[in-house]
Amino acid sequence: MNVWSAVKTVMFTGATLLFFFVIWIYNPFSPHEEYELPEEAEQIINDPKFAAEGRELFKQNCASCHSLRYDGIYLASVAAKPEWSKVEKTQGKPILEEKDGKLVVRGYFVPRDVYEAVAVQDLESLKATFGKVPPDLSTYYLARGPGYLYQFILDPGRVLPGTSMPKLFMPEYDKEATRKVAKIVAYMRSVSEPPPGEKAKRTLMGMVTIGYFLVMGVLIWIYRKRLLSKMGY
Amino acid sequence: MLRRIVDWIDERTHARDLYREQMIDYKVPKNLTFPYVFGVLALITFVIQIVSGIILIMYYKPVMAHAFDSVNYTIMKEISFGWLFRHIHAAGANFFLAIVYLHMFTGIYYNAYKKPRELVWMVGWVIYFTLLTTALTGYLLPWGQLSYWGTVVTTEIPASLADAPILKSIFAAIGETISIWMKGGYKLEDLALGRFFGLHVLLLPLVLLALVSVHLFLVRAAGISNPEGYEIDKKNEPEKLAPFHPYVTLKEGAVAMGYLALFFFFVFFNMSHFLPADNFEPADPLKTPPHIAPEWYLLGFYEVFRSIPSKFWGFVAFNLILILLLLLPFLDFSPFKSARRRPLFFIMFLVFLFSSMILTILGTMAPTPTNAQLGMFFTFLVFLFFLSLPVISFLEWGWYKARGGRS
Repeated sequence: MNVWSAVKTVMFTGATLLFFFVIWIYNPFSPHEEYELPEEAEQIINDPKFAAEGRELFKQNCASCHSLRYDGIYLASVAAKPEWSKVEKTQGKPILEEKDGKLVVRGYFVPRDVYEAVAVQDLESLKATFGKVPPDLSTYYLARGPGYLYQFILDPGRVLPGTSMPKLFMPEYDKEATRKVAKIVAYMRSVSEPPPGEKAKRTLMGMVTIGYFLVMGVLIWIYRKRLLSKMGY
Repeated sequence: MLRRIVDWIDERTHARDLYREQMIDYKVPKNLTFPYVFGVLALITFVIQIVSGIILIMYYKPVMAHAFDSVNYTIMKEISFGWLFRHIHAAGANFFLAIVYLHMFTGIYYNAYKKPRELVWMVGWVIYFTLLTTALTGYLLPWGQLSYWGTVVTTEIPASLADAPILKSIFAAIGETISIWMKGGYKLEDLALGRFFGLHVLLLPLVLLALVSVHLFLVRAAGISNPEGYEIDKKNEPEKLAPFHPYVTLKEGAVAMGYLALFFFFVFFNMSHFLPADNFEPADPLKTPPHIAPEWYLLGFYEVFRSIPSKFWGFVAFNLILILLLLLPFLDFSPFKSARRRPLFFIMFLVFLFSSMILTILGTMAPTPTNAQLGMFFTFLVFLFFLSLPVISFLEWGWYKARGGRS
C-alpha cells in the first residue's frame, strides 16, 4: 500500500467511524436535558433491594392517580371494586415472581382496553380533576430516566412548570422524603429492567456470542491464508 | 450411504455443476478492496431482519390498544428471548441502512454504476428506496411517542406541496391526497397501523426479496467491477482474476464474522440509540414531544427539507436528490471509471460524502437560523456534486480523445 492509499484509507475509515460514533453512541450536538441525581439517591435507585419498599411507597402515594400495569398495580379506586379481582383473573395474565424457590403470583397484567373499560368512570374523574388522565407509569423509567423521575417526583412544578401533579414529598418536614422518592424510582427501575441475575446472564451471553464470532473470524482468516498459499495465490 | 444420497440428488438437480459454475469457474478481480464486502454484509443483515421479524410477528398485535404493550410487555418481558429478538431487529434496521449507505458510497467511489452496470445501480436504488419505506413503516409499529409523531411529520411532508408558488390549489390537493392516503384518514389510527403493519411484514419484504434477487443476478451478469476502473480481459489477463470460492467467500466470511461481533456488541450492550427513550412512552395524539426528528438515515433529507425557507422547494430539493442519485449513470458519462483514476471526480466525491455526513449531523441539532444557513450551504454542495458530473465527464472525454481513446 502506497502513502496516498494509506492516507485515503485512514481518512475514509476515520470519517466513517467518527460519523457513526456521533450518530449512534454520543452526539454532543443534539438537544438533551440533564437532571441532577444526588449520590445517595443514585445508590438507592441502583440497589435492587429497595425495590420492594419502593413498591409499597408507590401503592401508598402514587396509585390514587397512576397505574403501573406491567407490575399489576392499578388505580386504588379500581382495585377496590368488588368485580376487579374477577376481571384480573379472567382477563389478565399472572405476573409471576420467585419467592423461597417457588413461583407465586405477584399481580395480573390486564390488557389496556379491558382495564380502561372497567376504569372508565375513575379515569374520567381524574381527567376532570387534573385536566388529563395521569399516565400509566410502566415504562416511564425507560422514557424519562432516573434523574428526571427523582427531581420530578420531589418537586413536579420545578421540573415541569404548570403541571397538575401535586408535590407529595416535603423534605423540609420529612427527613426521609428524598430517600422515599429514590425508593419509588428504584421500584420503577426494577419493573423496567431485568433482575440482576437475568442481567448477568445476558452479559455473559453477549460476551460469549461476540467472542464466538471473533474467534470464528480469525480461524476463517487463517484457514483462507493457508488454503490460498496451497493454491498458489 | 450419505454420498449415494448426494449423488442421487445431484443426478436430478445438477447441483454440483451449478456450484462449480457459480462459485469456482466464476472469476473476480484479485484486487477487490475492503469496501466490496458491504454487499454481502447487507445480504446477511437482510436475512437477520427476516428471521428476527418472523419471530416478532408471532407476538406483535397491530391494534392501537395493544401495539405498545405487545412490544414492551409481551415481547420484552413475557416471551423467552423476546428482548433479544427485538434488540436484533431494531439494531438490524439501523445496521442494514448503514451498510446500504456504505455500499452505495463504495459504488459511487468506484463508479460501479457505469456501463455495463447501470441496471445494477438502478435496481440497487429501488432497493434503497424500498428499504427506506420498510424502515418508515416499521417505525410506527411500537406505537410510542416517537413512532407516532415521527410518522405524523413524515406523512405531513407531502402536504408541503401546498406552498407551491404557482397552481397552489392543485398542488395543495395533490399533497393532501397523498398525505391522507398515507395515513388512511386525517388521523393516524388503527387503519394506518394495520396498513403499515401489512406493508412492513408482507408486501415490502417480498418486494425487497425480489429486488435483491434481481440485483444479485445483475451483479453476476455484469461481473464485479474492478477498483482500478477497467474491465479485466479474462483471456489475456487471467493472473488478475481469482475464483470466487474460496478467494472471496472466505475473505468475506471472515469479515462477516467481525461484523456480526460488532453487531452483537450493540445488541447486547448498547441499544440506547436503537430503542430511543421517548419511544417508551405510549403514543399520545394530544402531546407533541419537544424534539421530533426522523431516524438518522433520513436526517440528511430532513435537513435539506427544513433548511430551505420554502416548504415546497424543500420538498422538491430532497426528492430531486433522490432522483439525481437514480440517474447517476447518465449524469456521469465519462469514459473513465473509479475515483482512483479521476482526480476531479475524487474531489467532488469528497464534497458529496462530507456534505451528506454534515447534513445528517445538522439534522440532529435544534432548528436555529445558523443551522438552516449551514443546511442550505451543504445542500448546495450536494447539488454541486451532481451538477459537476456532466462537466467532469465532458472534460474527461476531451482527455480520453487526446490520449487516442485509451482509458
